[in-house]
Amino acid sequence: MASLITCPHCGTRPKEEFSIRGAALRRPDPAASDEVWQAYVYVRDNPKGRYQEYWHHAAGCRRWLVVERDNFSHEVFGVVDAGGAAETKSQARAGE
Amino acid sequence: MSLALFHRHVLEDHLSGFEANANPNHLSVVRRPAIFSVLAHRGQGAAVRTALSSVADTHIRDCGPEEWLLVSRTSGAAAVETGVAEIAGASHVDQSDGRVLIEIHGPSVRRILARCVALDLHSDVFVIGASTNALCCHVAVNLARTGDDRFEIVAPRSFAGSLFEELMEMGREFALTASFSRD
Amino acid sequence: MTSYRLGAPADGSGNGLNRAHPLTFTFDGRSYKGFEGDTLASALLANDQMLMGRSFKYHRPRGPVTAGSSEPNALMTIGTGARGEPNVRATVAELYEGLTAVSQNRWPSLSTDFGAVNGLFGPLLGAGFYYKTFMWPAMFWEKIYEPLIRKAAGLGKLAMQADPDRYEKAWAHCDLLVIGSGPAGLMAALAAGRAGARVIIADEGFQLGGSLLSESVSVGGVSAADFARSTVEELTSLANVTLMPRTTIFGWYDDMVFGAVERVQKHVGTPSPDLPMERLWRIAAKRAILASGAEERPLVFGGNDKPGVMTASAMRTYLNRYSVSAGTKVAVFTNGGSGYRTAADLSASGVTVSAIIDARAQSSDVVPEGVRVIRSGAVVDTKGRLRLDGLIAERSGFQEQIECDALAMAGGWSPVVHLMCQRGAKPVWSDDAQAFMAPDVGAAFIAAGSAAGCDTIAACLKDGAEKGAALCLALGFSSYAANIPEVEGDYDPAFAPLWYVPGAKDKAFVDFQNDVHVSDLGIAQREGFGHIEHTKRYTTAGMATDQGKLGNVNTIGIVAGMRGVSPAEIGTTTFRPFYTPVSFGALAGTSRGEHAAPVRTSPLHDWAKKNGATFVEAGLWHRSAWFAREGEKGWRDSVDREVLNVRHNAGLCDVSTLGKIEIFGTGAAEFLNRVYSNAFLKLPVGKARYGLMLREDGMIFDDGTTSRLAENHYVMTTTTAYAGEVMAHLEFASQTFWPELDVRFVSATDQWAQMSLAGPKARAIMSRVVEDDISDAAFPYLAAKTVTLRGGLKARLFRISFSGELAYELAVPAGYGEAVADAIMEAGRDEGICAYGVEALNVLRVEKGFITHSEIDGRTTADDLGYGKMMGMNKPDFIGKRLSSRFGLTAADRAQLVGLKPIEADKEFKAGAHLLKEGASPSMASDQGWVSSVCHSPTLGHMIGLAMLKSGRERYGEKILVWDGLRGSEVVAEVCSPVFVDPDNRKLQG
Repeated sequence: MASLITCPHCGTRPKEEFSIRGAALRRPDPAASDEVWQAYVYVRDNPKGRYQEYWHHAAGCRRWLVVERDNFSHEVFGVVDAGGAAETKSQARAGE
Repeated sequence: MSLALFHRHVLEDHLSGFEANANPNHLSVVRRPAIFSVLAHRGQGAAVRTALSSVADTHIRDCGPEEWLLVSRTSGAAAVETGVAEIAGASHVDQSDGRVLIEIHGPSVRRILARCVALDLHSDVFVIGASTNALCCHVAVNLARTGDDRFEIVAPRSFAGSLFEELMEMGREFALTASFSRD
Repeated sequence: MTSYRLGAPADGSGNGLNRAHPLTFTFDGRSYKGFEGDTLASALLANDQMLMGRSFKYHRPRGPVTAGSSEPNALMTIGTGARGEPNVRATVAELYEGLTAVSQNRWPSLSTDFGAVNGLFGPLLGAGFYYKTFMWPAMFWEKIYEPLIRKAAGLGKLAMQADPDRYEKAWAHCDLLVIGSGPAGLMAALAAGRAGARVIIADEGFQLGGSLLSESVSVGGVSAADFARSTVEELTSLANVTLMPRTTIFGWYDDMVFGAVERVQKHVGTPSPDLPMERLWRIAAKRAILASGAEERPLVFGGNDKPGVMTASAMRTYLNRYSVSAGTKVAVFTNGGSGYRTAADLSASGVTVSAIIDARAQSSDVVPEGVRVIRSGAVVDTKGRLRLDGLIAERSGFQEQIECDALAMAGGWSPVVHLMCQRGAKPVWSDDAQAFMAPDVGAAFIAAGSAAGCDTIAACLKDGAEKGAALCLALGFSSYAANIPEVEGDYDPAFAPLWYVPGAKDKAFVDFQNDVHVSDLGIAQREGFGHIEHTKRYTTAGMATDQGKLGNVNTIGIVAGMRGVSPAEIGTTTFRPFYTPVSFGALAGTSRGEHAAPVRTSPLHDWAKKNGATFVEAGLWHRSAWFAREGEKGWRDSVDREVLNVRHNAGLCDVSTLGKIEIFGTGAAEFLNRVYSNAFLKLPVGKARYGLMLREDGMIFDDGTTSRLAENHYVMTTTTAYAGEVMAHLEFASQTFWPELDVRFVSATDQWAQMSLAGPKARAIMSRVVEDDISDAAFPYLAAKTVTLRGGLKARLFRISFSGELAYELAVPAGYGEAVADAIMEAGRDEGICAYGVEALNVLRVEKGFITHSEIDGRTTADDLGYGKMMGMNKPDFIGKRLSSRFGLTAADRAQLVGLKPIEADKEFKAGAHLLKEGASPSMASDQGWVSSVCHSPTLGHMIGLAMLKSGRERYGEKILVWDGLRGSEVVAEVCSPVFVDPDNRKLQG
């Protein structure tokens, strides 16, 4: 039905404004080994719990964000601009 | 041979059937606005933002970090472009034909927009002068508050027909009328 | 006469009826009278119509057992024709003038239902009956058993017409959401509202007040109902408070967003076309209070489903709120104070109470004067068929018949905690309260009032006020001490648990809606379905429209008793949204029919329309597919004509939907060099270049041309389908891979009307429109620049071709698109110009062997498609480079792009067919590849295709079987070059 992400540039928005790309991994050096590249393109930990993902604020500022959240409870711990432009500090979870 | 080319607004057919007398809740479409995307290059954001505010007869709409729309109802695109082109550290793109400018106002405007956007538009939260990119009726637009009960939507031209119909549908309860604006 | 309407109270107060507004309605074709403020159920009871439905499996006669949203029995179809809505709970349906209700699941009538013989086959229909009875013969299930069961069992029938009404969705935001408007909810809203917080208070009922409307206490010196009214008045006067009656909060979602459905016009005989029937809300709340009250549990004893048996609190609601007595002679079966309060209220209204049967040995509850109490007693059987007519009570082994036509049952209270349990938290069993209590889900969402276990109205008022104030204080509002009104005439609803009365002759129902009785639960335990989730599925207890709101806690208590453990050990089943059923109409909102998704139209849409275009959906776009002319028998005629005309004369095609991205910056060249596989650093100003983008795994992602308009200014085109993806991809690469590069981009797709003018006569036509010199010398193949149209309009001209012909793409500001397209058509009239659509465009490109996303399907590399030379392997880095050279992507037997032509010219094949060596039988092992694109080539006069074939480029001339297992065809084709027309590109560069 709904969930909300607080974009560090635009404020709190519904998830419909975003698209998710998956694990926030750093692109390896072009000269890195086959194993490193294989892991980057194909291998994911897929943990249950706290996870960093790339989210694109496609219908907003069009910045790529790194959302750190619990993929089971959807508790969001923080949202930062993937290019380092800004961040939303650990979202004030209601009542905590 | 010289071509006499007519300019046609995308909502021309949509608006022909509406009454000219505006109700208290009214939607007006600006026929020939000047709309420019302005992009600041690395490290130039603050300077570009400052320079933009001195381009005559224009309003700045925030899109994202170091990106804005510069909107004018009164100056032509050529005049605005002249002003924008002088700004150092910025690039610009004429979007005057690629975007439509819709104003919606009236006592029920927030109740209408609550059916279109997920943003909290309470007058203390989304203050006069605020603007942002957001989804409106499933379309990515720029939304700005321009007065007490007055908002402006800048929307992609290709979606304008759909968006307009949806806005009017959401305004039915409040007798929303629509026309081209007089300016 | 049994149930009836009482006279109006002398002081005119005391209930929610407006007797000045009588209403007429029909039930099963008979006309009845009710009042404004009635529910359908209360109005039917006022007219002595206790029988309201038939049960799901056994077709037993049923009456209402509640006065609220947990009602399992009184389900009806309300409305007629397309507006007929099945399974509406009569207990919450607001009465309106002209309401038409029809009973369900009976034939031929409610009082004579032949389906009731199912009762005789009771043993067959016990727990797990589906799994046991209908096992064999297997074929009988689909043909015989299932249709029969569907006919006999079930709820109401859907109207099979389109819904004529409007629906919409909306967002709301608040500091505090108060769910429920009983004593706790009203006080919480008042405290928060007075403190200045933005408050939304929602209640599923059409009158705010909750239990205050049903109880005979006085609050603050006035009746509870009057206190509710005056509190609602004050809340209404506060600008920061929004009251939402007729609104069910049905779900609690991530990040404190609540889903709600508002029944805007369900209570209106003639709905306004300007209002929605229902409105779906998403309410983003900083804090929320669950003040949803508590549900009174039925007692489980033999024959507890007779019409006339209802909960004690329901009976009080009918009496105090609707002035309806459920009977003339009422018995009470209770394990706590609620039964005594019902007896007292009935007595005070002049209704005879024949006995209070109290399961407990003693209690301090006040017994109304003259009413007999049977202590340590139990009801063991009930009399009557369509209506209760006496009961058998038992005490110390002695049975006696008690005269009555209605029975109030009070089985204790269960807080309504569903919403708090929808995100994984389980309710917590309390031995003290003998109930499942709300779990701790954090400080943002808390329960108050009887939902939090408060027992009296006084306690609820206080709890609501305090919690409302505390939450606002936490949000930074100043605390406002609400004065808590005095309550007089309150009672103690304490109870001692009684899960069921053993030794019943008739069925003792636990779940009325699904006809689950105590022995079904026993079967489930004996047959290995003891886990409560298994018991639910095996017996169906807790399923269907009421989701066990009334019966689940009794189910758990009884199962616990059978297993000799605490209900805490049994636990509950899983709570999920929706709290009550939500219509698909509300969930869809305006997204239906042609408004299912927004439509994108090209600036040349109207031009195409007036030229006779048929449109095709391409993503959200509507694109012109072909332009039919008089005399053409089908689309193929139009497409063939358009293709030949482009090859011989000229054609104009709308390509505005291609993505257009403006790129700026001193790092733009380097950036493009890294996102394209081929070289872009040295692209001269004024030139376009075809580029391939790869994914990081080495497969092709998208293709298109990018033109350099100035030293640090490019414009990129993408395919229509991938415009959004490419833009996001560029943003991702720029923002996360190489933020140090000075490059910025913005989409300008909508700014330009772009049209392709193609054909040998294209230059002659274009030169009549453009002022600039566009001779081959001045404007050669792949030139790109800003030009001036005759008359002065600035435009962009590109010499690029997707047809293999001499071609230009002209981009003009969107508002001028139609005028410019008209001008080109006029300029080309003598040359025989025609409009052509995407179908002809596709034929033209297949004839030339150009690729689209039919070939770029995520499995193909640049080399697979014959673009191996576009891999700039000497560049230090580009996206996809690293993995493109790995084992497997360079193997010699990879499928490569080839052309196919049938050996017999009149044979046809389709895309998706597989390729086999002649004589091979179809199998994964013998698969040689697949057909990606086909068309009829009017230029060649037969079918042609593009295909991916193992080592295909070495196999030109070979015969291959095109095997289409899906459509059952086999055609022999010759493998050939994918370029069928003008392989030397003479026309393109002419």
